[in-house]
Amino acid sequence: MLLNYLTQHPFKRFLFQPHFLWLWSVLFLIVCSGPVIAQTQDSVLSPVALKKLSLEDLMNIEVTSVSKRPEKLNEVSSAIQVITGEDIKRSGVKTLPEALKLVANIQIGQVNSTQWAISSRGFNNVLANKLLVLVDGRTVYTPMYAGVFWDVQNVMLEDVDRIEVISGPGGTLWGANAVNGVINIITKNSADTQGLFVEAAYGNTMPGMGSLRYGGKINDKISYRAYATGFHMGSTFTMDTTGSSIGNVDSNKYVSAKDEWGLGQGGVRFDWDASEKDKVMFQANGYYGDMHLNPKGDTAVLNVSGENALVRWNRSFLEGKGDFQLQVYFDHTWRDYGNDFTEDVKTYDVDWQNRYQMGSRHTLTYGLGYRLMDHRMQSTPNFGFFPLNKTLNLYNAFAQYEIMPVKDKLRFTVGSKIEHNTYTGFQYQPNVRLTWMITKQQTVWAAASRAVRNPARIDRDFGIYANIFGNPRFPLFAGTDTFRSETVMAYEAGWRFNVSKKLSVSVSGFYNVYDHLRSVQPGPAATFGFPLLIENGVKGESYGTEVAFNSQLTEWLSLRGGYTFFWKHLWVKQGHQDANNATVESNDPGHQALLQATFDLPFHFQFCTVARYVDSLTTPQLKPYCGLDARLAWKFKKILELSVTGQSLLYDHNTEFIADSPIRRMQRGVYGKIIFYLN
Amino acid sequence: MKRFIKKIYFICLAFILIYGTAVKAQPPTAMEKQVKAVFLFNFTQFTEWPANAFSSPEAPLVIGILGDDPFGKYIDEVIAGEKANNHPLVVKRYSSEEDIKNCHVLFINISESNKQKQVLSGLKNEGILTISDQSTFLKQGGMIRFFTKDNKIQFQINPDAVKSDNLIISSKLLRLASIYKSDKK
Repeated sequence: MLLNYLTQHPFKRFLFQPHFLWLWSVLFLIVCSGPVIAQTQDSVLSPVALKKLSLEDLMNIEVTSVSKRPEKLNEVSSAIQVITGEDIKRSGVKTLPEALKLVANIQIGQVNSTQWAISSRGFNNVLANKLLVLVDGRTVYTPMYAGVFWDVQNVMLEDVDRIEVISGPGGTLWGANAVNGVINIITKNSADTQGLFVEAAYGNTMPGMGSLRYGGKINDKISYRAYATGFHMGSTFTMDTTGSSIGNVDSNKYVSAKDEWGLGQGGVRFDWDASEKDKVMFQANGYYGDMHLNPKGDTAVLNVSGENALVRWNRSFLEGKGDFQLQVYFDHTWRDYGNDFTEDVKTYDVDWQNRYQMGSRHTLTYGLGYRLMDHRMQSTPNFGFFPLNKTLNLYNAFAQYEIMPVKDKLRFTVGSKIEHNTYTGFQYQPNVRLTWMITKQQTVWAAASRAVRNPARIDRDFGIYANIFGNPRFPLFAGTDTFRSETVMAYEAGWRFNVSKKLSVSVSGFYNVYDHLRSVQPGPAATFGFPLLIENGVKGESYGTEVAFNSQLTEWLSLRGGYTFFWKHLWVKQGHQDANNATVESNDPGHQALLQATFDLPFHFQFCTVARYVDSLTTPQLKPYCGLDARLAWKFKKILELSVTGQSLLYDHNTEFIADSPIRRMQRGVYGKIIFYLN
Repeated sequence: MKRFIKKIYFICLAFILIYGTAVKAQPPTAMEKQVKAVFLFNFTQFTEWPANAFSSPEAPLVIGILGDDPFGKYIDEVIAGEKANNHPLVVKRYSSEEDIKNCHVLFINISESNKQKQVLSGLKNEGILTISDQSTFLKQGGMIRFFTKDNKIQFQINPDAVKSDNLIISSKLLRLASIYKSDKK
């Protein structure tokens, strides 16, 4: 019966597709590696061997620790997944957005060479607006649509320490826009990036990439690095429809979409260990880039530039009584679409946080923040943002209290953020959280939180006007002054288990209820359904499961990955209509899975392969696909590294996400890279 | 093209499989706890205790661990059959500071600062070489602190604390350590 079911089930067909052969081979590899584990123990120095070393040699042994980083409280009791700089490097991804493909709880698809759709817990599209992204503590969303321009979020991947992705609301700690998740991109301390680093890469999808970085020390306490990096990403492809009627298209004929993307960036970072208690970090970055967005590649060239600077002071109070953080940053971004449409944003932000440990069972965390965003647009008189310029103020205060009714066993957290924004005034984002540390290896947690997505300028100030119906400025499509904050009530639970030193697993599940989601209300039939007005007419719910695991299977093989299930249902509220029938804001796969296998091979070779499965998308429709990347590298001492990376190996051309017409296809990519280190 | 790539991929996998199982040539790495366990052993070799710290010339030299034991069996493996100046080495694990008796080296693994301070002040002038990972350890009167720099284990010594307990740490060890100077005079 079961056999019958399995052989007839479409899943079976799926599993035995050639695409999945790689999976079986990796599994086979893992099974085969079993007997080898015993032998490989020898490659780790035994205590007896260590004992024979001189003190000097002992002090030069590199160590690996199971958890080096002290676990933060929110990590234990939230659905967090972390990728390290090493995971990123080994995978061979080229850019920061690509690196996010290595996180199993993120929905991600490349749209064209510059655009990405990235979200967590659903609601993914090019204008995804429910995810908060921070680069070294600096919020990078644009108030234009409350989302992220991923094409200008660039860091030297070599300098990334880790990327933490928390799926689920983070409103209490991080504030507005952390509706469905928070991405924290954290770069290394400059003390860990000393010496000279040079890299250069070339490939069919990346016809040129290079970086130069130098790290040094001013004295015992101050270290720094300075870097410059640039890349040129090749064009994506579209199907050639010229000269042939639809339905008679040669499906193998692709032409360049002429959307090449080039970006140059430079910056500095200083880290100052001012005293045993105080640490100060300063960084400044600037970039310039240009892109061809027009499929014909002639007009409409997009130009971007930006500068930012951030300083952060951390102090830990004596004897573990708590700590405090003060951070100030400035961020300027500029985008010119070349068709009289430009955006210029200046952000000024100050944030203060204090954590106070009261005895061994109580902790109080509180803070204040202020952000000013000076948003300036240029647009044509009948298409754009009105008013053109707007100053957005955001004030916030938060407090969170933690109590351990049973010490080191049970923790109860309650807190809220109170925020005041220019559009909708006061907003509250509370959460309660219960954490039960069953053993040192196992934690179970549950949480309920509310978070909001404040209006962006597009919701309030955007408009397309025309001289029709006897009105010289008749709105065809427009934001409304009544647009309010979108809300979510999220209920989550999770389980974390360090099964052994070699394997850790985490599982989380959630149920979210959304209200006041954006809708497009059509106008009366007399005016042919115009004006289309932006309102809060959609409601919805979603649930899902996220599974992640990390395993250092043997000294030479580590595996990490996960599986995410997501389901949602959105509907139009009574008394409202939606021109898109509540379908346009999100296009999410029901299932997705990820496996990264990293091998340390003899003779200083390294191999890594990453496989992703992404289920079908519905609006617009897209078939399921498997991403498969592989990288082989060879290291010569600590001086030279050569590598070859293949990306999207299973398809000549593949589409990951459709945002507009014509549909873009990403080519299979192969590139080689050379790296020099000089200390 | 697709088939070709697939072929290459499987050849690579097969290659790795054979390769990975045949030979192993890893750069030497070690677990943090192993290295620290060996350091504890080394500290017994480079420290002199006053004669009255031992009841007899053959009495054991006790390495104590207070708080959670981070070393597990490694420390036992390291000291098995070893001696320091004719004193056989012995490991004892203490669940509370009241249990500490006849101890010569003590690794203190208490994350709570107040408690650590209390333990340290109770151990003053007992002739015990105190060691920990905690950043506040030396400030509170501890003697040796481990820290990690560039993935390597280093240590810092508080010579004043060592001296006031009448212990003598060999210059060989001091030379490799970073020296802690208390800021209050």
